[in-house]
Amino acid sequence: MTLLLAAVVGSLFALGTFLVLRRDVVRVVWGLAILSQAANVYIITMGNVAEGGGDLVPVLAVHGGEVPTTTDPLVQALVLTAIVISFGTTAFALALSYRAYQENESIDVTEWAS
Amino acid sequence: MNVVVAPMLAALGAILATLVTRSRPRLQHAASVLGGVAYAGAVAWAVRAAVLGAGAPGAVTYQLGNWPAPFGITLVLDGLSAFMLVVAAAVAVPAIAVSVRFVDRANQQVFYHPLFHLLVLGVTGAFLTGDLFNLFVWFEVMLMASFVFVAFYGNAQHTAAAFRYLVLNVVGSVTFLVAVGGLYATVGTLNMADMSRRLAEAGAYGIDPLPVTGLATLLLATFALKAGLVPFQFWVPGAYRAAPLPIAAMLAGATKKVGIYAIIRLYFTVFAGATVPLNLPVVAGTTPLALLAPVLLVMGVASVLMGGFGAVASPSMEELLAYSSIGQVGFIAVPVAIAAAADSAALRRVGLLAALVYALHHALAKGLLFLSAATVRGATGTNRFADLGGLGRQSPFLSSAVFVGFLSLIGIPPLSGFFGKFLVLDAVTSRAATGPGVGAVAVLVVLLVGALLTIVYASRAWVGGFWGARSERVRAATVDPVQVAVLVAVAALVVAVGLGFEPVAEFAGAAADAALDRGAYIEAVAPAGGESA
Amino acid sequence: MSSIIMRTTARVVVPIILVVAISLLLQGHNLPGGGFIGGVLTAAAFALVYVAYGLDYLEIGVLDRDVDPGAGPFDHRTVALYRRLIVLGLAIAVATGAAGLLFGVPFLTQTFVYVEGVPLYHEIELTSALVFDVGVYCVVVGAILSILSVVGAE
Repeated sequence: MTLLLAAVVGSLFALGTFLVLRRDVVRVVWGLAILSQAANVYIITMGNVAEGGGDLVPVLAVHGGEVPTTTDPLVQALVLTAIVISFGTTAFALALSYRAYQENESIDVTEWAS
Repeated sequence: MNVVVAPMLAALGAILATLVTRSRPRLQHAASVLGGVAYAGAVAWAVRAAVLGAGAPGAVTYQLGNWPAPFGITLVLDGLSAFMLVVAAAVAVPAIAVSVRFVDRANQQVFYHPLFHLLVLGVTGAFLTGDLFNLFVWFEVMLMASFVFVAFYGNAQHTAAAFRYLVLNVVGSVTFLVAVGGLYATVGTLNMADMSRRLAEAGAYGIDPLPVTGLATLLLATFALKAGLVPFQFWVPGAYRAAPLPIAAMLAGATKKVGIYAIIRLYFTVFAGATVPLNLPVVAGTTPLALLAPVLLVMGVASVLMGGFGAVASPSMEELLAYSSIGQVGFIAVPVAIAAAADSAALRRVGLLAALVYALHHALAKGLLFLSAATVRGATGTNRFADLGGLGRQSPFLSSAVFVGFLSLIGIPPLSGFFGKFLVLDAVTSRAATGPGVGAVAVLVVLLVGALLTIVYASRAWVGGFWGARSERVRAATVDPVQVAVLVAVAALVVAVGLGFEPVAEFAGAAADAALDRGAYIEAVAPAGGESA
Repeated sequence: MSSIIMRTTARVVVPIILVVAISLLLQGHNLPGGGFIGGVLTAAAFALVYVAYGLDYLEIGVLDRDVDPGAGPFDHRTVALYRRLIVLGLAIAVATGAAGLLFGVPFLTQTFVYVEGVPLYHEIELTSALVFDVGVYCVVVGAILSILSVVGAE
């Protein structure tokens, strides 16, 4: 499971990086969205996906309670916040790319005014 | 206890007040300026109660939502945070006052004022928070506001600059998230004080601190991007040209300092206690600081040169100031690197003290100059040196303020810049005296070249814009007296900081001590779960 | 886009989405859900209506009002309403956060109370977090819908 997630996170980062480096502005925005999601998946994996344990769910461990077979709730809260932020950023990026496309009359970012 | 949250509440209140009064422009402007003044008042009150006043505890914490540390979000107001808050407030108040007169009516109505206070809120939160993930959130709040401001005027050049700025910063945020996730997995906490404590006794808590160096380096890349250090400097000129000039003053004066603050806070307060053997070529040491020192030094030195040469070649005042701020951040980064490389506590303090004093000086001087550029643009419609000239005769008060700003940038005593440059060079020479170290003499030479370049571009701006015969545009210009009054007040502040430097130095010294005193920081926050696993 | 299939689906789906959104909002203080998710779902329902029936449908079809066809998207009456919703939501959220200060507890502190003897429910939990969530809900709905209608109108 860990290996699978590592592969998923790796390929998401690779795909995101590839898209961000394209010339087409729409692809760049897609790349940003995928990069943000890659970071989110990565954070989820940081909270232990295999099985619950005191070492791996630090918030529960320090509370002193028994740690049942549960995943770490903290990383999910972090990811929820990160999703909200990347949602807002992506929405803004979409609107901005449309406006920049209108102003520069090209979807090729290398042709835009500097 | 509520003193800690007071600046944040003031900024939040200002956002709400300017939103509610949006349909009545005059009322909105008044609310916005009042909000800025209230923010400065809240900062002054909080700093006095927590750090500077008689019998002040030195560090005050605040648990948002009454959740205990390390689970809840902690706000910490210690010397370092207090100093940075004062820097931010000193830029924010004149910036909003000039904005009201400078930015045209229609554009002010399009969420200008709420976003300005959102920017202030983001900066405040970043300075106050004691939680790593919360720091990320405040960075994003700050960025959201600055994205909109960079795209504010929306022509071809500016939207392109805004898009590049956005892409770069999203990549930076992703890097930040990766580092945060990795640190959580490694240390098991996100509370900075808790992290500092666990890293210092990694064995007792069953932590393997080996990944910390790499993760800390990811954080350094993110913060250097926000601070605009070489090699992450390329967004700076485009973004500063595109943003409204009072916002450029905020970006250069306050948000860049957030990057510097985060480097100081995380490396010196949190990571410094970790024992991580480094087996890298050139770098040798046992803490992440050993890696920070050479990297940041190279970044800082390259920024000084890059910014200096860029500014000398700039055709307009705003571009000159943008490049200049790259160079000046280099001047702040170099003493931080010296402090990281230092063996003795005394030299470490000298380095951080120099960086903080320089940060204050740069915020004031660069804020003053960007706001002056706004006034010049408002009066003549341009900032290009080719179209300017003779403003000195046209408006003596404006020119005097600009003159003070440039003199301070160069480092003429008794202005604030003199002490900034003096302390930075003092830190480098002290380092050179303790041994060959990191080629301190070479660094000294580069800094002197940087200082020389500052003189060159400052005189170029002065000769191009303010001296000599009046150009046609300048002849037809009417300078807004209210803006000039604000500028003169900031110039007076620059002079006052220089003349009454002693209390400023004491405050900066308290800030440097707070950054270095990990024990006091942990004790102030007192995160639960102290027993070792 | 506005085919008969689209419109028929929208008729069936929109009420369901709205009910789910409200239930997510109400349980959000201690179960999965909350203001943000509820708000996004509500905005999705409205977006579906916009796609199926057009931007002016709410004004003309539901509220039976006239629409000035020449006005730009920023002057649209519903858009102005959405913006007011953002301000209202923000005010509610900040006010619930600051309310704690009056009782001498830190900013953003939340509390709850059990009300007994309510018909049908017998016992109901009233939380201040719910009020905060309603504020968040208003901000999210207002923000997403104003973005959607302005960008959609371009």
